[in-house]
Amino acid sequence: MHIAEGFLPPAHAVAWGVASAPFVVHGVRSLTREVREHPESTLLLGASGAFTFVLSALKLPSVTGSCSHPTGTGLGAILFRPPIMAVLGTITLLFQALLLAHGGLTTLGANVFSMAIVGPWTGYAVYRLLRRFDVPLMVTVFCGAFAADLSTYCVTSVQLALAFPDPGSGFLGALGKFGSIFAVTQIPLAVSEGLLTVFVMRLLVQSSKGELTRLGVLVTGGRPQAGAGTGTEAVAR
Amino acid sequence: MLPIDAAAHSSRWRRRHPVDKAVLGLGLTVLAVSLPPWPGAALVLLTALVVLLGPAGVPARRLWRAYRVPLGFCATGALTLLVQVGGPDGFVAPADGGAVRAGELLLRTSAASLGVLLFAFTTPMSDLLPRLVRAGVPAPVVDVALVTYRMSFLLLDSVRRIREAQAARLGHTSRAAEWRALAGLGATAFVRAFDRAARLQAGLAGRGYDGTLRVLVPEARVSVRFTAGSVALLAALTVLTLVLERPPT
Repeated sequence: MHIAEGFLPPAHAVAWGVASAPFVVHGVRSLTREVREHPESTLLLGASGAFTFVLSALKLPSVTGSCSHPTGTGLGAILFRPPIMAVLGTITLLFQALLLAHGGLTTLGANVFSMAIVGPWTGYAVYRLLRRFDVPLMVTVFCGAFAADLSTYCVTSVQLALAFPDPGSGFLGALGKFGSIFAVTQIPLAVSEGLLTVFVMRLLVQSSKGELTRLGVLVTGGRPQAGAGTGTEAVAR
Repeated sequence: MLPIDAAAHSSRWRRRHPVDKAVLGLGLTVLAVSLPPWPGAALVLLTALVVLLGPAGVPARRLWRAYRVPLGFCATGALTLLVQVGGPDGFVAPADGGAVRAGELLLRTSAASLGVLLFAFTTPMSDLLPRLVRAGVPAPVVDVALVTYRMSFLLLDSVRRIREAQAARLGHTSRAAEWRALAGLGATAFVRAFDRAARLQAGLAGRGYDGTLRVLVPEARVSVRFTAGSVALLAALTVLTLVLERPPT
């Protein structure tokens, strides 16, 4: 769920755009360098963007019985790294705003900050941290996807609370109100997205080792990865 | 193809330059968020609706199907403004002026959304993306966006067909089966995306691909008359808002 068009006051919309800009510019530089060095990466990155867009169009059954869609930020960050996800996420959000009326152009900066910057970086940080402690791959993938999803909606709640402080209790009261709607209700959905990401990753480890190695999620020549199938030398980074 | 983009391809304003439509549509959005909600956003909402259903010729049903998406978020968000947390009246109590603030927010968001929809319903992505290079967006980013755009439809089509096949094989009959089907869907989308990228790369390599995607962009010129008319309309809305906001003394 993204902040809709016109929902934020102009000053907030501009401020979140300014806050997002350095991350997106950094991502654009990484992407441009990658494409100049390896022109064929354009197609791979485009496919990755399309995958992220399609992932956000899948309906996700929630444990509460309702239905939502995955943010895809956790899986995207693990597969493509956060700087690239900042650009792919921005492109995806732009497409969602113009093709699906989901999100908006004046709120693009705020949505990019929550969904294409904080979500991927948090998910990736959790994933890398747990990998460092030799936690099994699928547990780290679940935790990464869960953290990415939940942090996205926590930031959305903060953005809304800053824009609309509660008349009685100010920012904290508003954070409680928006958090109870957008973040707390998101916990079961974050669990659902974590589980879905684990299932997807399990299938990918079985069927697409080549692509995962190319993306650097798996590396060859290391210790055998538990659950990665027999006869493979691929291990998760 | 997604409904908004499909409508844009058959729009009356399809042949107009994207700058023409951006000045009008995005200009209305900027006015909606920067003018006072009453009467500014209300005037913008009315104007956008008239332009969308009138000169732009967007079918009302298609417009409503797209418009109800942002309205859902706005209504949920605006509900929180009706109550306040903490204070003399109890932990949760009706907020003073909450209804007015919620109404103003709804007015602003619904007017701003219509401005963007005016642009989206009349401007296909395939007309917009290649022109972003002239606006200063790095060419590699535009190329990635172009591939993303074109591949999204193929992937969405694949996903739809896979879902149909899964349903035909009773893949959605239980919660566990639904989860398995969904995971398979996500993984297959990933594999197909990369497979298509590899095949596209092989095909382009055989045609001398040098890292730049050259696409045909429909010829269109910025209409000074249309743009000037749009600017005049935006200026008139601003003046009218300021006049109505300050009643004569």
